[in-house]
Amino acid sequence: MSIAADTRPVLRLSSPTATRELYLFIAILLVGAGFTYASPYFLTPINLIQTLRAALELAIVSAGMTLVIIMGGIDVSVGGILAVTAIVIGKSYQAGLSSFLVAPIGLATGTLLGTWNGFLTTKLKVPPIIATLGSMYIFSAIMFIVIGGAWISGLPGTLSPLVNGTVLHIPASALVILVVYAACWVLLRKVPFGRHIYAIGCNETSAKLVGINVDRTKIATYALLGFLAGFAALLYVARLRNVEINIGTTVALEAIAATILGGTSIRGGVGSLLGTLLGVIFIRIIQNGLVLIGVSSLWETVIIGILLIVVLTADAIRNRNNPRV
Amino acid sequence: MVFKLSGIVKRFGGLVALDHVDFHVADSEVMALVGDNGAGKSTLIKTMSGAHIPDEGEITMLGKVMHFRSPQDAWQNGIATIYQELALAGKMTVVDNIFLGREMKRPRFGIPFLDLPAMRKRTDELLTQLDVHVPGIDSWVESMSGGQRQGVAIARALNMDARLIIMDEPTAALAVAEVRKVLDFVIRLREQGKSVVLISHNIQDVFEVSDRISVMRHGRCSRYVRPAKLPHKKSSAS
Repeated sequence: MSIAADTRPVLRLSSPTATRELYLFIAILLVGAGFTYASPYFLTPINLIQTLRAALELAIVSAGMTLVIIMGGIDVSVGGILAVTAIVIGKSYQAGLSSFLVAPIGLATGTLLGTWNGFLTTKLKVPPIIATLGSMYIFSAIMFIVIGGAWISGLPGTLSPLVNGTVLHIPASALVILVVYAACWVLLRKVPFGRHIYAIGCNETSAKLVGINVDRTKIATYALLGFLAGFAALLYVARLRNVEINIGTTVALEAIAATILGGTSIRGGVGSLLGTLLGVIFIRIIQNGLVLIGVSSLWETVIIGILLIVVLTADAIRNRNNPRV
Repeated sequence: MVFKLSGIVKRFGGLVALDHVDFHVADSEVMALVGDNGAGKSTLIKTMSGAHIPDEGEITMLGKVMHFRSPQDAWQNGIATIYQELALAGKMTVVDNIFLGREMKRPRFGIPFLDLPAMRKRTDELLTQLDVHVPGIDSWVESMSGGQRQGVAIARALNMDARLIIMDEPTAALAVAEVRKVLDFVIRLREQGKSVVLISHNIQDVFEVSDRISVMRHGRCSRYVRPAKLPHKKSSAS
């Protein structure tokens, strides 16, 4: 019996996320071709680089969201984490701290808020959607109390090369996304921690039985999402040099949409980072293209909403035919 | 003596589910547990596997007194219970399931990378040892038949060096050919020096593979029976 032979399909097209990734890639090409035809400004280096920069924070947050959703969790408060962290960063800069101090303070704030969500869902046994909804209200309140409806502006752009710079003609924002996704991929696929995330999403009882520390893994994963939201906040401040009152309002839902469009199962246990990245690109291209052809950005949310419903309905139909999935 | 229960009492309110049960399993022994519904079989295996904490009595494993607080506790101490629902992660591969929670690592730059080649090799050895045939060790477990999944669950128990393997109705809901396969797994476990507690409604299965049969009635192990050594049993065990 030669079962040790590598039986993994070369392109892994048999896996459900690979099929979704392929469809999403084709959809990006089709939508891109449509916008190129409709607007002469779409397929220009400047526009594509701008779109990439606009995708930076969403891409980073979505990587963490993918890990959380694969684990069977969800975090709707991630926009609040980003907002509160951005305010902490803004206030730290205003207090005269240098970027060497502000960066770790920002990352620590995000991680702490993520850990708080992990604590609520594990130790207090609050269902993740309720726990993080509560957190979202708390974080929004903190934001309004601290900045009281005014912008924090005139912040230094010390970290802006990470967003606007280039390395060997490659936009730095693309490299930042690449590094974040590569690190998350290693975490998810190459070390035991990632296996535990998948196992908890698949079958939490089984994960507990074999001795996986489920609570610790969950808290660490929420903390990681918080850390990434903190990093996104640093880049947000570097990009815009101010903190607006509407910061982070859409990022949580966009990150969830990108993750689900990318093939990650909302019920946990299945998902891929590549799919999520394609989901982010898809969302940002639609937003950018609609603006270029002069269509109200409201339609972008309608399109993404419809797509989500279509994708989730297709999943539900497939699962109905195959109850073991 | 690998595993011994002495004077185990378990009450649920006024109901005495286990009434001073004495039970033991020796090395390389397959002990079957039979009895009517409500006789206390489920309560007994839940007590052995750490899901229930007994009100009275003593559990010893390899001569050491054990106080299991949870199934994890029992599992970490070498008692693997293979439930009907199997507790496998369906959307993970055979390799992933067998090594879940005890992955083999090859640290580089201080990062505990998974040692996939080693895990695949060990999976191959375990499946060969048990003669489990699966479509591929990288296939999702949920795509497999009931018998194959039993095989994966048993391979996982073997991999964690379980001394006592408790199988709850392993042949229920299996096709005839698959039942044969699972009974062969049981025989192979015994050959490798493991002790097995087998709970089954199918008396034919029980007679075929077990060394002793414990009959439960009204929360007591009323008697032990030694099934006659049937000729086909000897041939399959040898």
